[in-house]
Amino acid sequence: MSTLDFPPRMSFLTLENVAIGFGPENQRVNVLEDVNLSVRENEFVAVIGFSGAGKSTLVSLLAGLERPTAGKVTMAGEEVVRPGPRRGVMFQSYSLLPWLSVAGNIELAVKQVFPGKSKAEVKEHVERYIEMVHLTPAKDKKPHELSGGMRQRVSLARTLSMQPEVLLLDEPLSALDALTRAVLQDEILQIWEQEKKTVVLITNDVDEAILMADRIIPLTMGPRATLAEAFPVTLERPRDRRTLTDNPDYQHLKTEITSYLVRLNREARAARGGSIIQMPDVAPRDFTPPSKIRGLKWKNTA
Amino acid sequence: MEFKYKILKGIDISGLNFLSPVVRLATGEEPAKQLREIGRFIVVPIIAFLAFLWLWSVVAPKHKTKAGEVPTPAVVWDATGGIWRFHEYETQKDQAYQLTGGTRLDTLGKAKARMAELDALEARAKEQLAAAEASSKEKFDARVAPSKKAYDDAREASKDARRTRTEALKAEAAQLAGATPEQRETFLNHLRDADAAAEAEKKSLDGLKAAYADAQTVTFPETKDARRTVTVLAEERQFLVKYLDMLGDNSREAKVADAKAKAEEARSAFLNAGPDEDLYKLGSTVLKRQELLATTAASQYAKPWTLPKQIVRSLLCVFSGFLLASFIAIPIGILCGLSPTFMAATTPFVALFKPVSPLVWLPIIMIIVGGFMPDPENHWLIVLLGKVPFLGNYKIDPMFLSSAITVALCSLWATLVNTALGVGSVDKDHMNVARVLRLGFWSRLFKIVIPTALPLIFAGLRISLGVGWMVLVAAEILSTSEGIGKFVNDMYTNGSSQSFAQMFVVVFIVGFIGMALDRIMVVFQRLVSFETAGSTL
Ligand SMILES: Nc1ncnc2c1ncn2[C@@H]1O[C@H](COP(=O)(O)OP(=O)(O)OP(=O)(O)O)[C@@H](O)[C@H]1O
Ligand SMILES: [Mg+2]
Repeated sequence: MSTLDFPPRMSFLTLENVAIGFGPENQRVNVLEDVNLSVRENEFVAVIGFSGAGKSTLVSLLAGLERPTAGKVTMAGEEVVRPGPRRGVMFQSYSLLPWLSVAGNIELAVKQVFPGKSKAEVKEHVERYIEMVHLTPAKDKKPHELSGGMRQRVSLARTLSMQPEVLLLDEPLSALDALTRAVLQDEILQIWEQEKKTVVLITNDVDEAILMADRIIPLTMGPRATLAEAFPVTLERPRDRRTLTDNPDYQHLKTEITSYLVRLNREARAARGGSIIQMPDVAPRDFTPPSKIRGLKWKNTA
Repeated sequence: MEFKYKILKGIDISGLNFLSPVVRLATGEEPAKQLREIGRFIVVPIIAFLAFLWLWSVVAPKHKTKAGEVPTPAVVWDATGGIWRFHEYETQKDQAYQLTGGTRLDTLGKAKARMAELDALEARAKEQLAAAEASSKEKFDARVAPSKKAYDDAREASKDARRTRTEALKAEAAQLAGATPEQRETFLNHLRDADAAAEAEKKSLDGLKAAYADAQTVTFPETKDARRTVTVLAEERQFLVKYLDMLGDNSREAKVADAKAKAEEARSAFLNAGPDEDLYKLGSTVLKRQELLATTAASQYAKPWTLPKQIVRSLLCVFSGFLLASFIAIPIGILCGLSPTFMAATTPFVALFKPVSPLVWLPIIMIIVGGFMPDPENHWLIVLLGKVPFLGNYKIDPMFLSSAITVALCSLWATLVNTALGVGSVDKDHMNVARVLRLGFWSRLFKIVIPTALPLIFAGLRISLGVGWMVLVAAEILSTSEGIGKFVNDMYTNGSSQSFAQMFVVVFIVGFIGMALDRIMVVFQRLVSFETAGSTL
């Protein structure tokens, strides 16, 4: 496609001095303020931040679901004024329609985004993405019959099935066990590489960010959060998660990011006026109860 | 096993949860626990119901009314049989009237045989009744005699005592001519004493009279049973007389044959008439007779309304009203849920009209509907509805329409409010999905909004149907439109003890149908709710 003929656009998805707040104007406190971001085409960016900092709000802005109160969001040079299937969002809350089955949820998206597809093509397309997230056995189940992790995978499959140019993934793998998570991380990376997509990944897992992203951008603590200086990840791709932990560059980067985040947290608390209470550096000596108590039978009264 | 879970699921969806321990017990799952559950959810309700029946049968006869004693469960059960027999007989007559040829003659033969049988049966039943009455009369007399004697004796004694007292006082009065005022005062006191004595006697007499009356109230089950048998047989005889008539000389076939013969006769008279006869008159006769033949051939037995038929009509009416209400309430509810402005515009109407009683709506609606149909028989709507296959048999008239509209007006509010609520509660996250996908207005409506609202819409429909059923019976009583309500009204006007019992039958029928309608709606409600929780409703 065009991406083969032209070099990737340098600032494909941008935020320019963006601010956003909620509530009535006179008592509004901005959740995000002075946010600048420029994502290259085909770049993989990870945004990392604390809970409540404004990560989901950032995704809404990028998607066009929320309009900024100041500044501008653009994609490929055009201002983003409303959401659309070019920027596929995977919602943190999964947002599955409870009355539709797994296949039905994905089919709704596929039919809408690819109106030209025949019935058989739609079916084939839906099944491919269900298979990708390993949910074929559950394809006729309703969301309430699925586990949290399974729902998250359905949501991911729905977003991927739209084949958007930009993937906005809001903590897409947070509810999964380590094994499934690893498999899906690889899956996302593969799609990103093969189909030349631009990805903004929201996460609170530093390992995941380092494994996947080209750049890791911390979001400072809210209110009035903003994007901090990015940490470029220069590790060679493909990154092998088994050997990565032994890599000194990886270890260095991880320490750097972690300590940055810890510092952010401390500063934010200090800014709020809370003093930092240092815990005494002691460990409990003995935690075995005396023999008298041990001899008693504990009744569960609950 | 698979099968068992299917049954359990079905039970759960239909809300008949009390059956699930039975199924589980049958498959040997935790028998002790299931028996306990059966005890609680099946045996206890049955015991409670039996206790209720017992209490009813004890208390009811204690209260006397214009229409006799309040009927006991046994009497009500009897009345149910009476209602059913009436229905059966009328249906048979209806069918008999239309029979032709061999079938008719066969049926006629059978009916005649039954009539012969009936003669013997009736004679025997009457004998038994006479015997029972004779034996019970003896018992009755034996039971009543002591209290009667006590009462009669006491009455005689009291009469005598009064006479003696009066004479004594009169004699005293005759000697008062020259008495002092003190002596006269004493006489007055004697008069007072006499009055008091009379009063006391009257009181004790009343007591004896009550005891006598009480002794008379005794009933003898064997006489009662014998009398019932006689009544039932008499009813059957009455029916058979009519039935034989319908199968014989008064059958449609016989009448048609007769009319045909007459038409032929007139025709040949006309064709063969001499020149000096009045051909105009003869010709008109031919036409008249032919017309008569046609109406006879198309005639039907004028079947009276029986309760089962009235029930079906009531159901048709309530469903018509319910459908009308749904067609109005769901779209308006959706608009309300979608647009706050529309909601604001609608709120006052809902608040104002929702509490209005059906008894206010009905007369207004009847007048308005009547205004549209000055000549109801020939109004296009009535004619059209009369041609609808099943509906046509149930006499669709302006009263039916008014009742249905009243039902709709009273029941639509629940659906409207619930629909608005359901539509208004669409998840913002789901809307965001729709926005990202750029779903159009109609797609959003049918793929996101309505599915979200469906459980609440059905909850509203369920309430509406329940309200509609209650409103309908009231509306029928007021409008005397054929149906269950009309039946109650007729029974009330009738005022016999039999019809009093039949009103009790209606209570159970109305209750049962209402319950069935509710259960049906529960099933629908559960089928559309996407997170069917296994709770009892
Ligand atoms: N629609 C809204 N109205 C008012 N406040 C909002 C709204 N959406 C978000 N906020 C506020 O914005 C802040 C950031 O919310 P956001 O959901 O973006 O956090 P987050 O970083 O995604 O947190 P988490 O990691 O827990 O998902 C929160 O303080 C929240 O209260
Ligand atoms: Mg979030």
